[in-house]
Amino acid sequence: MKYLLPLLVLLPLLGCLDDDDQLDPLRDVQFTLNYRATYGGDPLGIQRETYGYPTGDSLKVLLFQYYVSDLELLPADGDDAVRLAEIDLIRWMSAAEDATQQRTYLVPPGDYRGLRFGLGVKPSLNARDPSEFAANYVLNEAEFWGPSTRYVFAKIEANAMLEDDGRFDTGLSYHMGSDALYRTVSLEQPFTVGGNETPTLTLTADVLRALSGNGQTFDITSPDKQTVHGGNQEVATGIWNRLAGQFTLSVE
Amino acid sequence: MCRWWTILPLLCLACVEESAAPADFAAILYPAGNPSTAAGVELGERLFFDPILSADSTVSCASCHRPERAFADGTAVSLGLGGLAGTRNTPGLTNVGYFHHPLFWDGRADNLEAQAGHPVGTPHEMGGTWPEAVARLAASDTYGALFARAFGSPDIDSSRVGHALAQYQRTLVSRNSKYDRVRRGEATYTALEALGHALFFDFGDDPEGAYAGLPTAECAHCHTPPHFTNQRYENNGLDEAMDLQTFPDPGRGAVTGIPYDNGKFRNPGLRNVALTAPYMHDGRFATLEEVVDHYNSGGRYAENRSANVHPLHLDARQKAALVAFLHTLTDTSFVVSFSTKSDRLIEGAGARVQ
Ligand code: HEC
Ligand code: HEC
Repeated sequence: MKYLLPLLVLLPLLGCLDDDDQLDPLRDVQFTLNYRATYGGDPLGIQRETYGYPTGDSLKVLLFQYYVSDLELLPADGDDAVRLAEIDLIRWMSAAEDATQQRTYLVPPGDYRGLRFGLGVKPSLNARDPSEFAANYVLNEAEFWGPSTRYVFAKIEANAMLEDDGRFDTGLSYHMGSDALYRTVSLEQPFTVGGNETPTLTLTADVLRALSGNGQTFDITSPDKQTVHGGNQEVATGIWNRLAGQFTLSVE
Repeated sequence: MCRWWTILPLLCLACVEESAAPADFAAILYPAGNPSTAAGVELGERLFFDPILSADSTVSCASCHRPERAFADGTAVSLGLGGLAGTRNTPGLTNVGYFHHPLFWDGRADNLEAQAGHPVGTPHEMGGTWPEAVARLAASDTYGALFARAFGSPDIDSSRVGHALAQYQRTLVSRNSKYDRVRRGEATYTALEALGHALFFDFGDDPEGAYAGLPTAECAHCHTPPHFTNQRYENNGLDEAMDLQTFPDPGRGAVTGIPYDNGKFRNPGLRNVALTAPYMHDGRFATLEEVVDHYNSGGRYAENRSANVHPLHLDARQKAALVAFLHTLTDTSFVVSFSTKSDRLIEGAGARVQ
């Protein structure tokens, strides 16, 4: 209670500051960002599709998700970045879901040179407990693993068929995340918002390229590489780095 | 422009008592269309324990959701009007108000308000119809006044009944299990409970931790704190299905119409789970020991079985430890307080819980 009085005195003053320097609903333009998931370039079909893997095995993806922090558009003239979202969770977990998920934002018209985001939960938010947020906030999506391990930044889960017996009976479960793994991803791709037609941007993440790429293939047949969780982040670092390195941005 | 009035709500907040303890978990989301009031909760509580909602006034919500069993009923599948067996196990209702995703084993009710509409018209539950139930309430001496206090007029309809029941169920809050007290530093685990806690939360994954190398039981991926569910749908390997069409109960798939969802059920919350035997959507396991044996085996094959359900290789002590940890989720004060209140209410309603 004792801090409330000074706060109450301050609040009317704060209320008088100009609130909307950043966003102007009259001027700002609706802008669509597509989050697209693929597997080896094909649209990701959770459970529906059977995919090949470089070890010669096949698998069905059950879950693919990642957190995005500080999603920002980069103005062409080098002005301050335009923040679209502080934190979001992009997730494919059901066969009902489309490979492309849409988010819309209001942004100032102008020329942009690209987009930037942090892959994962940024350290300042990763330090905060889910109980600090509303029950339906993105950090309350039950991705908080524990007081020391904090939020899981990204997950890939699949069932693989390792013998040719029609049974997808080997679970693969990769859960990644820690402050040390947090990465900033910047993608250059010029576009203009406003004018005649505002383009739609598509940010694509490819599950196969996260598991296997750059001459490295994660060995899903090795039992100690089928489940990578919690404190055991070393095994997952390769997947994480490939995931962070494979995003592509296209403008349509 | 100076919007001085924007501080009005804050001024009101300033007058509200600060809550004593720091938040253990995110607050309940009270729907705008049904804010809880003392009169609404009181009415909801009364309705919950009153068999008047059933066709022959023998079955109340509490016949199946029994406070002394953390609002479950102790039978494999529920028994309703005339002892008619249902198809699914009665879930406990501990902290049900915190679930903001759909309810039921298969998620077919969007929220508590909508859920309350189901049992009244289900033949193997309360076996009647809403018009009849509403007529019985309207004919009673007491309910008109209670509805007036709760909703501003004595009109009775199914939606108001649902709203009042929802308000009552949002008071079924448990935060004093041993698990909670350990978290708050007010209690400590026994060695066995601590081992179970470490297994449940995969402490063995941490190569530098005290439990390095311990098997990981993977439970918290689905049974995620604070309510021990992530409210999503999974196949935890109960039934073998070479073909996704062959599950005895399609569960989530019947709601979404997608065969890939067949055999998936909502990950149930585990608070007070030691009191809610038997277990699973069909009550197939009588004890927590059987549940742990199931997970230890890795469950049965279906292509949509979760990747986090696989053979765990737990030894006898580790299995006992998991069971011991599940027992720390029991909140005796919750059970005692709601069952003492219910005794009074059941007497008031002039009927016994079946
Ligand atoms: C005959 C026994 C029976 C009666 C009577 C009954 N229920 Fe249930 N209840 C069940 C069963 C069984 C389920 C699970 C059904 C399913 O998921 O398909 C359930 C599920 C629920 C759920 C969902 C819980 C969750 O976590 O998803 C709520 C809430 C609930 N009941 C409240 C009530 C209320 C309120 C009443 C009274 C109007 C009531 N029940 C009457 C047996 C009963
Ligand atoms: C992949 C998600 C998942 C994992 C991992 C998981 N569970 Fe479950 N659990 C479920 C689902 C789904 C159900 C309900 C299944 C049904 O009835 O069809 C369930 C049911 C239960 C129940 C019965 C609850 C009740 O009220 O009937 C208990 C107890 C339980 N799990 C404990 C555990 C323990 C202990 C572990 C770790 C060894 C574990 N679970 C791992 C998803 C999971």
